[in-house]
Amino acid sequence: MNTATDPSTRKTSGAGQEPPRSSNTPYWLSNTLRLLGMVVVIVWCLFPFVWMFMTSLRSGAIALTNPNIFVGPFSLDNFIQIFELDFQFALRNSLVVAGLATLICIPVASLAAYAIARLPLKGRAVILTLALVATMFPPVALVPPLYQMYQQIQTWTGISLLNSYSGMVIPYVALTLPLSIFILVTFFSGIPRELEEQGKIDGATPWQIFLRIILPLAAPGVGTSAIIVFVYATNEFLLAFSFAPRDLNVQTVPVFIGTFQRVGYENPIGQVMAASVLVSVPLIIFALVLQRRITAGLTAGAVKG
Amino acid sequence: MAIAQSSKARTPQRGPRSKGSGIGERALAKIFLTPSFTFMAVIALFPVIYAVWMSMYQITGFRQEFTGFGNYSQLLSDGGFYNAIRNTFVFTTVSVAFEFVIGLMFALIMNQAFRGQGITRAIILVPWVIPTAVAAQVWRYMFSDNPGFVNGLLGTSINWLNDPTWSMVGIITADVWKTAPFVALLLLAGLQTIPREYYEAAEVDGAGAWRRFWSITLPLLRPAIIVALLFRTVDALRMFDFAYVFAGYSNSLATLSVYTQRYLYAEPELGYANALSTATFIIVMIVGIFFIRLMGQQTVGSEKGKKK
Repeated sequence: MNTATDPSTRKTSGAGQEPPRSSNTPYWLSNTLRLLGMVVVIVWCLFPFVWMFMTSLRSGAIALTNPNIFVGPFSLDNFIQIFELDFQFALRNSLVVAGLATLICIPVASLAAYAIARLPLKGRAVILTLALVATMFPPVALVPPLYQMYQQIQTWTGISLLNSYSGMVIPYVALTLPLSIFILVTFFSGIPRELEEQGKIDGATPWQIFLRIILPLAAPGVGTSAIIVFVYATNEFLLAFSFAPRDLNVQTVPVFIGTFQRVGYENPIGQVMAASVLVSVPLIIFALVLQRRITAGLTAGAVKG
Repeated sequence: MAIAQSSKARTPQRGPRSKGSGIGERALAKIFLTPSFTFMAVIALFPVIYAVWMSMYQITGFRQEFTGFGNYSQLLSDGGFYNAIRNTFVFTTVSVAFEFVIGLMFALIMNQAFRGQGITRAIILVPWVIPTAVAAQVWRYMFSDNPGFVNGLLGTSINWLNDPTWSMVGIITADVWKTAPFVALLLLAGLQTIPREYYEAAEVDGAGAWRRFWSITLPLLRPAIIVALLFRTVDALRMFDFAYVFAGYSNSLATLSVYTQRYLYAEPELGYANALSTATFIIVMIVGIFFIRLMGQQTVGSEKGKKK
């Protein structure tokens, strides 16, 4: 009723009160515009994926001669060929590397985040700022020194970290720790303090409080940061390409696809797209199912700020 | 285990300032922080220091020869290095600017929507979750002039991948496609914290839509905007995937990350690679710290405030 002073706004006052909406646009028009806006956003997000999907199904030379993605012949040939090139190994390697990185990163980050959020600690603000600074660490700064350290370790101990899972997992953990800590701190801070106080009154030790009271309550936050670490590790290209460039036993999906070489005379467009579909579809399903958790994690910093 | 027992024994309050905590909690805090700190010190901090040290050497195979600042003087007179800096900064400024404007538009659209917000919020994650190297291949093929999807769409006949300027436009387009939705997500979260009453009050005062946007939305969105710009800028500065997949080590697109990586295998010169990685580290950190200072009181201040 506060719109009474301005008659032109009365019509729309019930629908949405958000920012730039012209007060004198008719109801149906503003509705259509909103719907159109949503369509633009959805098309933006999906059209390269649709292109990728259709191209992966087009067989022979048609994908190279006719840009219209709805012109066949269509077949699954590209998918068969990509498995003949052992793409399944790349999928397995990515799963193992990302899984291990997540499994190591999250428990370590949870401990640190709990200490920062809840335990008495000197210089908490400094530590949090340091974590934020560390999230900006450029991965390329690790490439030459780690490469050399790996060579050095091999000459000293005979353990080869180049072309190995550990050679990738170890730096992934280090690179994802700061962001995970940052996200987890915001989740731990959201748990009501009364529950801990209650635990203390009941005589629980700090460790018991962490394990029995805090961790179960923080499970959604822990899951969220686990998802984000996992996606980071499946996405990482630079370190994987530097430390495990060719060996199919350890090569991850981004390296397989990003460095795909033509086999024979044919332009490999269909095969590259088939491999892209095979890795994108599970990740997209993963993202759609866990959408709420992911959004909460990605925006944890922004809302706090 | 030992900690738990010792703290149990001392349960009676003895901390002068904290309410119910004793030495147990303080010790626990240190113990909890140790694994993270050790990990980052050994795997991130030490390599950076090691890189500074190694950048003083000329390394060929297993032979190392001390050259002092030789690599750095080579770097300062290396056209490829300046070219990489230029490419990196052109890519960063243009792509972040577009990502911000398009991301803000998307956020406003989604915030207005009364229907379909759930599905859009899910779909907007699709570009984010597709690995960058995969997205790069998709865009490279869409730009390639053989099937010519982009050319077909625009009715042009541009040789996108071989012309340095147009291929820069190509990777910027690809990056904007992939990350504008991510920016939208961050800004949307910020938009949803703005109380509706502000808009209602402004409307009563007769403020138009544009005025409300400039006087309410933008100022109140400032913290979210700074966070989004920080993440995007730093991420764009260290970009490797799009540039490498589009053009390999070619100078036309080589960013600092690509140019550094090139001295690992393509032209093995590890000492120089270490000098380049050190320089990149310094450049990215300077920009990042500038942003953090910008948001200084805002984020850190409110974090501190929250925890009393």
